[in-house]
Amino acid sequence: MKAAQAAPRNGALRLQLYVAGESPNSIAAIRHLRALLSGYPGVKVELELVDVLKHPERAMREGVLVTPTMVKLSPAPRRRVVGNLKDPEVLVSVLGLSDAHRE
Amino acid sequence: MRTVSSEIAGLEQEVAELRERLANAEETVRALTSGEVDAVATDAGLSPVLLRGAQERLRENERLLRAVFDGALDAMVLADDRGFYVQANTAACELWGLSRERLLGRNISEFAEPGFDFEKAWSSFRSDGRMEGQFVLVRPDGEKRDLDFRAVANVMPGLHLSVLRDVTEQKRAAEVRSRLAAIVESSGDAIMGLTLDGVITSWNLGAERLYGWPPTAAIGREIGLIIPTELREGEASVRRRILHGEVVAPYDTKRVRKDGSLVEVNITVSPIRDTSGRVIGFSKSARDLSERRRAAAQLEEVETQLRQAQKMEAIGALAGGIAHDFNNMLSVIMSYTSLILDELKPADPIRADVEEVARAGRRATDLTRQLLAFSRKQMLQPQVLDLSQVVLGMEKMLRRLLSEEVELSLVARRSLGKVLADPGQVEQVVMNLAVNATDAMPAGGKLSIEVANVELDAEYARVHHGVVPGPYVMIAVTDTGVGMDAATRERIFEPFFTTKEVGRGTGLGLATVFGIVKQSDGHVWVYSEPGRGTTFKVYFPRVEQAVTTFSMAPPEPATLRGSETILLVEDEEQVRVAARTILERHGYHVLEAHNGGEALLICEQFMAKIHLLLTDVVMPRMSGRQVAERLMPMRPDMKILYVSGYTESSIVHHGVLDAGIAFLQKPITPNALLRKVREVLDG
Repeated sequence: MKAAQAAPRNGALRLQLYVAGESPNSIAAIRHLRALLSGYPGVKVELELVDVLKHPERAMREGVLVTPTMVKLSPAPRRRVVGNLKDPEVLVSVLGLSDAHRE
Repeated sequence: MRTVSSEIAGLEQEVAELRERLANAEETVRALTSGEVDAVATDAGLSPVLLRGAQERLRENERLLRAVFDGALDAMVLADDRGFYVQANTAACELWGLSRERLLGRNISEFAEPGFDFEKAWSSFRSDGRMEGQFVLVRPDGEKRDLDFRAVANVMPGLHLSVLRDVTEQKRAAEVRSRLAAIVESSGDAIMGLTLDGVITSWNLGAERLYGWPPTAAIGREIGLIIPTELREGEASVRRRILHGEVVAPYDTKRVRKDGSLVEVNITVSPIRDTSGRVIGFSKSARDLSERRRAAAQLEEVETQLRQAQKMEAIGALAGGIAHDFNNMLSVIMSYTSLILDELKPADPIRADVEEVARAGRRATDLTRQLLAFSRKQMLQPQVLDLSQVVLGMEKMLRRLLSEEVELSLVARRSLGKVLADPGQVEQVVMNLAVNATDAMPAGGKLSIEVANVELDAEYARVHHGVVPGPYVMIAVTDTGVGMDAATRERIFEPFFTTKEVGRGTGLGLATVFGIVKQSDGHVWVYSEPGRGTTFKVYFPRVEQAVTTFSMAPPEPATLRGSETILLVEDEEQVRVAARTILERHGYHVLEAHNGGEALLICEQFMAKIHLLLTDVVMPRMSGRQVAERLMPMRPDMKILYVSGYTESSIVHHGVLDAGIAFLQKPITPNALLRKVREVLDG
């Protein structure tokens, strides 16, 4: 957990969010993720949206079975969260965010 | 031990991974069961399966797009890779004038104008991926529509979208607008647009011409720019009245030009309304009144000239008629006084009295000749003349005539255009004008006579009654004398009109000038103001002929007597008797006839030779010319001498004698008659 906490300070938080077009849960996941990250202006985030309706092959490659699925690529360890990301605590824990990132 | 512990470690890691995957699976299941998942990937291939909510959402999106597509005002069509329509919205169907069923499946190229290179355009579109521009759509019913379009390739794989907007009406409206603008621009009137506050918004060429400001300088400025200060409030109130719905009739006012000068204009102001009828500005057009005033003044001037010409014509006819009768009477007076003087002895006490009668007769003859000149009934001997030669030839005579206080300046370039006129008469014209000028300068001054080539153009002819446009030679006689006012100018050419004190002038000098010039198809105009001197300009039409040399006067006959037989035809009893008496006293044998019929009879009955037919020209029933024509077959050797006081007749046209005809101008005087008779008989 120490490394996870330190990582966002050194490098960017690289995320992928797999969505299915403008489906309701996909839209909700984007909204929830953006809302959460806006509370941590100190974190540098690279977020890539992947529409599985347009690029289904990428979902298969990543082993994403359902949408929406968020994948944290770095810092290690690679983690994923399935669903519409409505639980900020889960996100904070998975992304390794702390109060230090709030400024 | 080491292997056991490493095995345990391996197992622990496996367990941890399994836990992790289990947690992931649980998480996925939780998400699935709590409805947080939209789509699930399947192993069947690459298309994920959409769960119910997501499907509905997509269908909603599709419905939305469909509504937007169909509800759009612009026409939209989707074409396949070869340009065949596979989708069209309602606006497209309306634009084409076809139902959707009939439009779909047709190709874009079917609706282009002939000559449109579809292949080229389509391949360029496919390679660029987009295209926009104008296109002329030819509808199936033949109607053409102007379109603006934008096309995007592959909005979906293999589908190409075109959005088309019908701009036909806009284009037509723009054409109408530009035509209207061209009309406004080309108008001779100054036309401008104003805002409600009187700020200039448009400014045509006419406005620039009239006011001197170019559009760039005028637009954006207050209209006060061209309104004299004291009139600005009045102009503002005109705008207020129009704003309140009043119709303001065109009115005359003044405007100020860029150079500060004032110009009189007639202004028409109208409101400019927007489509809802609200007044949003004014249009003002201004017509230059000075132009109209000038035209009206010119018209009035020409009318005056016409009236003047008609009056002169009437007076001329009267004068001509009087002169004709006078000539007959003077013939008698002059003949008898001359005969009496021949009879009287040099010392006879009555001689002086008769000489007085003869003198009066000569003066009357002179007056009559001038009257004839005025009425353009004078005998002329026109020749092709160089006017500068004629005028320069008069210099000596003119200097003798002028008083020492008058300075003479002659400006006459040699080799000017030639005119057809009687040199004696031209001299008379110049002399009369010079005398007139001298009389206008009792205290001395400067007299200039200028001869020049001039072109009188159509514009000049328009404002000078009777002038035929073309090349002329002008003689201008200018003095620095007292000048004259308009009333005098108008009557200056009338016979017996004189401003000179009684006894100084006959009032025939300028009338003679007028008659001579008119008889030579020329024109004479006077320019004068009181105190500013006077200029007379005489114009003779130019001719393209070589100058004729002056013919020498016939040699003086050695004797005035003769013994030949003369047939005298004259309807005026007194004149006939006088002529007979003169001829008989000088040895001639005279046969008398008082008309053509008698003359014929005599010719038939008289057996001896008749040497000369001496006949009046103007007689009732048979003219002198007709008499001659009847007698000639019988007496081919008989010579003919015509006599007349009147030039316009069967042998004289516009004062010019027909070729080869002998003629004697009345009044008859013994000397002239005897010389002419001798000349004809000996000729």
